[in-house]
Amino acid sequence: MFHHDSPEEAAFRTEVRTWLEANLPATLRGRTNRPPPAELMPWYRMLSRKGWIAPHWPKEHGGMGASLNEQIVMTEELARVGAPQLPAQGLNHIGPILIEFGTEAQKAKHLPPIIAGDVIWAQGYSEPGAGSDLASLATRATLDGDRFVVGGQKIWTTWGHHSDWMFALARTDPQAQPRQAGISFLLLDLHSPGVRVRPIRTIAGDDEFAEVFFDDVAVPAQNLVGKLNDGWRIANALLGHERLGTSNPQFALIALERIKTMARASGVMADPAFRDRLAAASINVTALLALFNHAVELTNRQRGLGPDSSIIKIFGSELLQSLNDLLIEAAGSEASMENPVPTAFGAVDVSTSFLQVRRATIYGGSSEIQRNIIARRVLNLPQ
Amino acid sequence: MDLNLTSEQSLLREAAAKFGAAAGPKVARGWRGREPGFAPARLRQAGELGWLGILVPDAADGSGLGLTELALVLEQAGRGLACEPLGLAAVAAAALAQGHAPHPMLQRAMRGEALVVPALQESTHADDPLALRTRATGDRAPRLTGTKVSVCAGGADGFLVSAGSADGAELYYVSRDALGVHLKTASTVEGRSLATLKLKDTPADLVPPRQSSRSAVEALTDLCLIAVSAELLGVMAGAQELTFEYLRIRKQFGKPIGSFQALQHKAVDIYIKIETTRSLLYQVAAANDPYRIDPAQAVAVKAKASEDALSVTQACIQLHGAIGFTDEHDIGLYLKRALLLSSLFGNAAAQRRRYADIAELTM
Repeated sequence: MFHHDSPEEAAFRTEVRTWLEANLPATLRGRTNRPPPAELMPWYRMLSRKGWIAPHWPKEHGGMGASLNEQIVMTEELARVGAPQLPAQGLNHIGPILIEFGTEAQKAKHLPPIIAGDVIWAQGYSEPGAGSDLASLATRATLDGDRFVVGGQKIWTTWGHHSDWMFALARTDPQAQPRQAGISFLLLDLHSPGVRVRPIRTIAGDDEFAEVFFDDVAVPAQNLVGKLNDGWRIANALLGHERLGTSNPQFALIALERIKTMARASGVMADPAFRDRLAAASINVTALLALFNHAVELTNRQRGLGPDSSIIKIFGSELLQSLNDLLIEAAGSEASMENPVPTAFGAVDVSTSFLQVRRATIYGGSSEIQRNIIARRVLNLPQ
Repeated sequence: MDLNLTSEQSLLREAAAKFGAAAGPKVARGWRGREPGFAPARLRQAGELGWLGILVPDAADGSGLGLTELALVLEQAGRGLACEPLGLAAVAAAALAQGHAPHPMLQRAMRGEALVVPALQESTHADDPLALRTRATGDRAPRLTGTKVSVCAGGADGFLVSAGSADGAELYYVSRDALGVHLKTASTVEGRSLATLKLKDTPADLVPPRQSSRSAVEALTDLCLIAVSAELLGVMAGAQELTFEYLRIRKQFGKPIGSFQALQHKAVDIYIKIETTRSLLYQVAAANDPYRIDPAQAVAVKAKASEDALSVTQACIQLHGAIGFTDEHDIGLYLKRALLLSSLFGNAAAQRRRYADIAELTM
């Protein structure tokens, strides 16, 4: 609506759209839950062989070296065709972090398997006692000669039970003040002795995440990323870019189409009160498109968003939830059906979508934590 | 979030901020209940600065700029609670300029020597700008009969009136002094008045559209929505500045109240509403030609700006506590300005009704 493709971008879009239509298996389209690895990874490897698995990585590391606008084209076309969400911890988190902060040996060992889809990564940040207050994390890594000995527990680890490796924050200096100054960034082989993983079932009925226990796990010292006790800075360095990646308005547009289909099928579209709320939500989707395009323009001009990126996270995730409120309203007494609701215009996934989006305002820093960040770092309100 | 402005646009914004700051709440307070409720000399000053002809093409001696520049000026005017109707004057000038030969009033309107304002609404809810009861008769020498409501008529020398003719909805210029013009004004809580404009067999000039495919009434309606929204954005921004300053200095329980999380989160919600409205307004401004605005986008902007401005200025009163409820404190002036502007040309609910039709949210 606010961005028009350049001729090169338009050509790229056509190429991507044509290829996706021809190659994405029908069974993987329009899934609200992430399919398990046995179904999903063959698709991952197909994108990898095409050279499209990492649009945002530099070419020298197997990425496309694509511009931000080309990356957005890719995200939009993947969403448009209903492609499933890929495991993102390797591609969007540890990959870019290693490219920025890793040693040559770390890059050589870990980047190619991410591109190839041979290794799945998990993020080890949250702990039972360290959620919003992440800096209070208690998992310890004690340097013992040429290795760390790691003990503790991580939780809410997306795909933890499917993963081969974890990048984790661990306490390496228990006395450090502030507490952030005693945290290091480590790479852990989850197949090591002393690692135990237990999947956790979510309210959406899937087992997207897990808890991971470490019982004196030996980690080679060369698996430290950056300097000792510099892990907090490394973990936070690339957050702004990540928020731009996860807040693409395409997901809100898809939700909007789902509501319209359901509302026409159930007849509630004729109700002026419903139409009013739907109009309000659609207008907010337009505002999200504008906000996103504005953020992309700023990023393209090398003026990073900084803490303002929290606005997109809050507005986008809360909008996605209010859209799903409208979806269950449109479905009426079929809102709680476990399977997609059959309609004259095709089946519409209602309850899974509604349950799935609960997570949007929690992960990556809850909406409340984002508000604290804006209050402190953007509005400079007193502490 | 920063806007992507050129250096010319940044300078324009600075100049407009100066103009707005020279007004401010104290001056706005002084104009309450007076007629006209603004300084004609400042309207002429805006004319000299080129702001009233900001959208008028170069060929008609205007500044030939776009919606972004219009919005930059009006945001700052709103932020300073300027009482001069810059926005309405500027969009009226754009309308007067659009025919093959500009209307004779254009030059004076652009210089701020005469004030021409839109008179488009026929109902308090302004649902369909093209469903008009005001009729135009006579081809060569049109005459209008009908009633327009909620007209910002204070100090106006003429009106741009929409009316149904044999060819559909058309736009006409009507002089304040023309035969059959009757104005009934009533004051608003904001201080200025709104008028009901009655026309009875009143002589008028047809204002032709710029492009035959788009009616001049639609083009002017969309311009009004953008202009008022830009001013609403400024009103929100001004209220926000005043309120955040108060959060830093007001102490209770031995601490600045801005250190309390409950109030911080309310403050962040204010900030998010303003920033999302700002992104929407300026992205729409950058994406649209002034004479061919996508109506869905114009309506979306006005809906969001109207709703957010009321909600933000109300929250600002709440954050001030009892002092915010007094007439003496300035924060109430922002709420009242938001109340007036959000209601003009259709409030948020009216815009949502139009949006549902335009975006085909239908069975």
